[in-house]
Amino acid sequence: MNKVFILLVGIALIGGAGLVYLATGSTKSLVLVPSDLLTEQNKKDMERIRVGGKVSSDEIKYDLQPEIMLTFRVEDPADAKGSIPVVYKGLKPDMFAVGRSVMIDGDFIGGTIVATKLLTQCPSKYEPPLPQEHKNS
Amino acid sequence: MNTIGNYCLVLSWALTLYGVIIGFWGAKTSNDRLINSGAFAARASFIVASASLVSLITLFLQNDYSNHYVWQFSNREMSPIYKITALWGGMNGSLFFWAWLLALWGAIMSWGKNIYDKKIFAWALPVHLVGQLFFFFTTLFFTNPFHYIQANFVPADGNGLNPLLQNPYMAIHPPMLYCGFTLFSIPYAFCIGSLMANDLTNEWIYATRRWTLVAWGVLTTGIVLGGFWAYIELGWGGFWAWDPVENASFLPWLTGTAFLHSVIIQERKGMLKSWNIFLITLTYGLTVFGTYLTRSGIVQSVHAFAETNFGFLFLGYLIIVAAAATYLLAIRNRGLKSDRALESIFSREAAFLINNLIFLSICFATIWGVLFPVLSEAVTGEKQTIGVPFFNQVNVPLFLFMIFLMGIGSLVAWRKASLSSLRKTFLAPFMLSLLMAALLVWAGVTSFYPILSYSLCFFVFLTIIGEYHRGYKVHGVQVLKKHSRRYGGYLVHLGVLVATVAITSSMAHKIEKEFTLARGETFKVGRFAITLLDLSGIQTGNYDAVTAYTVLKSAADGTVLANLKPEMRHYNRNNENTSEIALRVGPREDFYLVLAGLSEDESHASFKVFINPLQVWLWVGVAIMIAGTGVVLVK
Repeated sequence: MNKVFILLVGIALIGGAGLVYLATGSTKSLVLVPSDLLTEQNKKDMERIRVGGKVSSDEIKYDLQPEIMLTFRVEDPADAKGSIPVVYKGLKPDMFAVGRSVMIDGDFIGGTIVATKLLTQCPSKYEPPLPQEHKNS
Repeated sequence: MNTIGNYCLVLSWALTLYGVIIGFWGAKTSNDRLINSGAFAARASFIVASASLVSLITLFLQNDYSNHYVWQFSNREMSPIYKITALWGGMNGSLFFWAWLLALWGAIMSWGKNIYDKKIFAWALPVHLVGQLFFFFTTLFFTNPFHYIQANFVPADGNGLNPLLQNPYMAIHPPMLYCGFTLFSIPYAFCIGSLMANDLTNEWIYATRRWTLVAWGVLTTGIVLGGFWAYIELGWGGFWAWDPVENASFLPWLTGTAFLHSVIIQERKGMLKSWNIFLITLTYGLTVFGTYLTRSGIVQSVHAFAETNFGFLFLGYLIIVAAAATYLLAIRNRGLKSDRALESIFSREAAFLINNLIFLSICFATIWGVLFPVLSEAVTGEKQTIGVPFFNQVNVPLFLFMIFLMGIGSLVAWRKASLSSLRKTFLAPFMLSLLMAALLVWAGVTSFYPILSYSLCFFVFLTIIGEYHRGYKVHGVQVLKKHSRRYGGYLVHLGVLVATVAITSSMAHKIEKEFTLARGETFKVGRFAITLLDLSGIQTGNYDAVTAYTVLKSAADGTVLANLKPEMRHYNRNNENTSEIALRVGPREDFYLVLAGLSEDESHASFKVFINPLQVWLWVGVAIMIAGTGVVLVK
């Protein structure tokens, strides 16, 4: 070990840590489930949240005009007690359907999630339930 | 077939276990008979595991839905090729395939054992087999693909593979990744093996140079194929989303790339010995960590992998690997001293070292990003996450600094560069790059990062061209052949530059537009005009589809550029919708068209278009990188 080496490692550590710290502060968002928002619904708007939940069967509207906009409600993955409306100005993802898990990034404004990003979970590794019908065939 | 496959799996696990025990025993006692017996076990376990693999493939091809795994991921309508690739469609098959690949590399190692140093090989083989044993153990006891379906009848048809995965790129992307991951086991095994054998020379690096390069090249290809698949199949116009699963494959790539560079310093200068041991162990560990990350369910991902309850196994194995490497480093510490010290910050040694530190910084920042939800919940009790902007904010500047080092590192003098030599080498390229930056501003590029990125790439391009020119003057056209390692390496760098320019422009100058057209109407975007000609529906046995027939013309002179036919499909069987995008690839940009939907009376169609500048050069750049890796391998 010598001075140059220690200097380099030191600069890298401090610089890297600083960069990570700053970026974390400015980009982190709270991860919530829809029921968290139900309780806080009347309280306050929130910026930058991520909500993970299930597409509720209530109402799905996909407008193409005047702009492409997807409106639906999201509920807890299990034991849903209520749902939260979501507005997403963007394409309906391929695998979007009732009951699918979705991850929504956006802001919570006036009781509605205004999504900037909507991801449906890729069911590639989805484990289907065992076949039930024709049990006696 | 199920029973045969299962017994073969048990047998290959047992043979691997025998190979580990006998191998270590033989190495410890320098007993040739035991060492050869261990090597024989490695080959035998490969052959038996192959029989097991063939049984599983046969079950798939025979549509044998009494096997749970086959029922889950296959159905009668799938073409035979996708029935075979459904093998790695799920977790059980993937881990089994992983174990089989390790057995394959172990067998190749053992067949070619005469080319390696005898003592190192004796230790390295059982080290490799320990990993193989772990994966066979997990496959056999936790994710066995040979389980019968838990129902009192055999289903008439299978569940089928997700249509998105029935794609040629998806068929080869996972096995490429797995090959890349598992191949890193060999340099790791030789490294740990030579520590155990107390052979602290550079022998393990020479012995595994080819393996490491192949691992890197295959992993690079695998990662990029995944991006290419996402680009053409998922319809969001991008190729990389910093998803945990993507990150899981990116992490070992970063440390592996750092390793490829730092071994050069050990070979040439006898420095960084412990560092290289650390790097290869970290790379190996990260390949296993990636599996843990994606299988344990500790992080949310768009890839909804089956959550499992055996994540602790992977964690346990990782702890064993880390503890063993730390112990070995500690007891061999005295023999791993550097032959010389770092003299100056302005030296090639220092440039390589900084390059390594940057690679590791990107790696740790990425790990931080992936694990942040877990960490924040543990510390604050509130679950928080950081998304794509975080990765871009941190990794873009780090990556650009690395591009800068790429220009410096291969040209600056060893040991200590004088100011006059620095001036002589870098002044002209530096001034020309400043000129380039000025030109870019003049041409209307106003953001900081794109200007920096293009100018840096230009700078490094000039230095590489300078090097080729000097090489050409000495060796003529034979330059690539004479010093394949050096000039092949520059070719890889050139590919990185091409890819960087492509990524920069697709990040900085991407255009996204949505529009709705009736038949005969035209929409103008950028230098393009797109006209909807017709809409039509078709039904096949597999899916119903709506196709939009459009023609893409130049907005300026009306030249027909392409007929684009984006499609929306509905697969009845799985009730899945997929969009088939239409793409017009050009050297200047990709015109990427998605059919978003139809109005209720089916008179209008809505589209989303992405204009991705220079996109094709990303794939070209990566192809150059792979070609360069090939050149380096020749020697």
